[in-house]
Amino acid sequence: MLTRRNALHGLSIVLGASAVGFTVQALPAPVLAQQLAGPTALTSKQAAVLDAVAELIIPATETPGARAAGVPAFVERALATYCEAEQAEAIREGLTSLDRDANEAHGKPFASISEAQQVALLSPLDIAAANTAAPSQHFFRALKELVTIGYFTSEPGATLAVRYDPVPGQYRGCVPLSQIGRGWAI
Amino acid sequence: MANLNTKWRAENTYDAIVVGSGMSGGWAAKELTEKGLKTLVLERGRMVQHLVDYPTATLPPWETKYPKGRIPPQEIKDHYSVQNRTGYALTEYTKHFFVKDDENPYTQDKPFDWIRGYHVGGRSLLWARQTYRHSDLDFTANAREGVGVDWPIRYADIAPWYDYVERYIGVSGQAEGLSQLPDGVFQPPMEMNCVEKDFKSRVEATLHRRVTIGRCAHLTDPTEEQLALGRGPCQFRNMCSRGCPFGAYFSSNSTTLVAAERTGNLSIRPNSIVTTLILDPKTGKADGVRVYDPERREDLEFYADVIFVCASSLNTAWILLNSTSDRFPNGFGNGSDQVGRNVTDHQYNAGATADAPGYEESYYSGRRPNGIYIPRFRNLGDPASERKDFRRGFAYQASASRPTWDRDLTGEGFGAARKEALSQPGGWVMRLSGVGEILPYSDNRVTLNHDLKDETGLPTLRMSVSMRENEAAMRQDMQVAAAEMLEAAGFKNVKTYDNPYAPGLGIHEMGSARMGRDPKTSVLNGHNQMHECSNVFITDGSAMASAACVNPSLTYMALTARACEFAVSERRKGNL
Repeated sequence: MLTRRNALHGLSIVLGASAVGFTVQALPAPVLAQQLAGPTALTSKQAAVLDAVAELIIPATETPGARAAGVPAFVERALATYCEAEQAEAIREGLTSLDRDANEAHGKPFASISEAQQVALLSPLDIAAANTAAPSQHFFRALKELVTIGYFTSEPGATLAVRYDPVPGQYRGCVPLSQIGRGWAI
Repeated sequence: MANLNTKWRAENTYDAIVVGSGMSGGWAAKELTEKGLKTLVLERGRMVQHLVDYPTATLPPWETKYPKGRIPPQEIKDHYSVQNRTGYALTEYTKHFFVKDDENPYTQDKPFDWIRGYHVGGRSLLWARQTYRHSDLDFTANAREGVGVDWPIRYADIAPWYDYVERYIGVSGQAEGLSQLPDGVFQPPMEMNCVEKDFKSRVEATLHRRVTIGRCAHLTDPTEEQLALGRGPCQFRNMCSRGCPFGAYFSSNSTTLVAAERTGNLSIRPNSIVTTLILDPKTGKADGVRVYDPERREDLEFYADVIFVCASSLNTAWILLNSTSDRFPNGFGNGSDQVGRNVTDHQYNAGATADAPGYEESYYSGRRPNGIYIPRFRNLGDPASERKDFRRGFAYQASASRPTWDRDLTGEGFGAARKEALSQPGGWVMRLSGVGEILPYSDNRVTLNHDLKDETGLPTLRMSVSMRENEAAMRQDMQVAAAEMLEAAGFKNVKTYDNPYAPGLGIHEMGSARMGRDPKTSVLNGHNQMHECSNVFITDGSAMASAACVNPSLTYMALTARACEFAVSERRKGNL
């Protein structure tokens, strides 16, 4: 009888078992290094705004936030390799405009103002972005999507903020939510 | 030169040639090699070896190249404008199993979505694995209604072959005792979740429509024979279309081609586009096939006593239409003019959805690669099920689930509260998706287009296939009846939907070389043998005289195994 354990053993022989049997508390260095090594799409000023905005969208709570999950690098890679040119440019311009707004209002770049000031600048943008008639054109809507995907598909996000089980082994149709505690990552 | 040709011929002659390595071709390879025939399988695409060539099978989400494994929009525009139309199938995890549309052109006189995978294993790697039998309601429908031509077989002819195939491939399911959806040889069924269980009991009690778990080609309690092939039980990852590292779902790659290889009688040649069947004018039989090898950029010939064409419905029609001779000026075995006609599919993308409040404390674990199933309940032959507005019927594939974090990527809000909300599962939703029969219409056809050549210089296909009044009326009922069941279950916010669907998108192309009793009106006889050429058999979707409303792969496999036994027996008797 092929048990789950045997099956996993077989899998590890065939495929190297990179996906099974790990636990994550700290950031997985090789994965992050891979993401950071990706192409760049932002100026250093834009990157600083992105770093702050990503953490505002998904802050560290009892689980890691976007920054610790490597989301800024994920977004930068997506801008360089995934997004259509027009969309990527809209996001870059949006990041620059946030810096401009921060400078005008507070005399400092976005990354250097207080969190309350950052939230005050971001909130009207968020409402406009969520309610705009042409969603793909609004940079903050596209950015929020990338940050959210980047976070929940990151190893810290998938394994700590939600529940990740690469090889469940069985399907149980009726389980109390309290036994699982959070949503599934995939 | 003559000597060279003689030598080539001697070295490239087999007992049998199988064109294609997908669902049907894999079965032909297994059956013919196990019966002792030296068999050459010709596959137009590249090699895909089980396990070895599943590069994304265990890729975790954080190692994808692109967000959520989506293909970049520009790449879709450049290469996958048709392949992407399913909306779900084409991802970074699976794109190596799909053709590039720019390299594989065809002409759409009417909209037709041709979703293809050119590689060893074909679409057996990508199929949805739903596995159902046709019934006599289906096999007798054309004759009863005067539609198309009568099937030359009945359920009793194919039932033992359904048993044979199910026992071999492994099918998980629940016996229900319904005449319109015959039971089979089942491994233990998968479980329904709480919402689905309540849906089932309420719908069965109030509307008297059966609700069952999907029947799917996954191992839940593998046999010794399956274990010996290196296959194991389903691990509930639901990453099937990447290729299964456990061999838990049936594919040619994991199963039939492995069995064929173990006989020592199999040769398999990828990169071999069969362009024509070669007719021996002296005998009136097929002598072999001509192949274009796109890597070597040359034409080659291979020879055999018996040829199984399993190239998938539309490509089989293409080969036949492209094989002209004095004997067959309109295409090989096409004296009936039925090759390329009667093209059908299943209609999808209509049904209903609802919210199922009240189950917030309930969840599930594992990812079930299967849903629940509502067998056909219209036009079963009794007055109660009869519809005046359309013939035939439809079934539903359905499921209840709780959407996860990706349910709201762009809505208002940011920060800790949103993060926490998305970390919890969303509310229960249930979706019913109709699978409806499309009648065989003789003018729903594909023809050769010599004005548009592919990059190897070969003619391409022109599609002219459309749905008619019967399909439109059925599609309406697919929505209404779905909403009715969701209401009966007591769910809220019930909404019907009718999303765009063009023929082809069901990815069940059928009918282009149909079986029948009369050589004047059909291409194949009741053993999938060409009426006009006794050593050529066609056992892919082309053979289907009608579509029924069930997923067709099981029927292709059963017809293939049955035809193989007949062909080998006839060959032994000297009748081919």
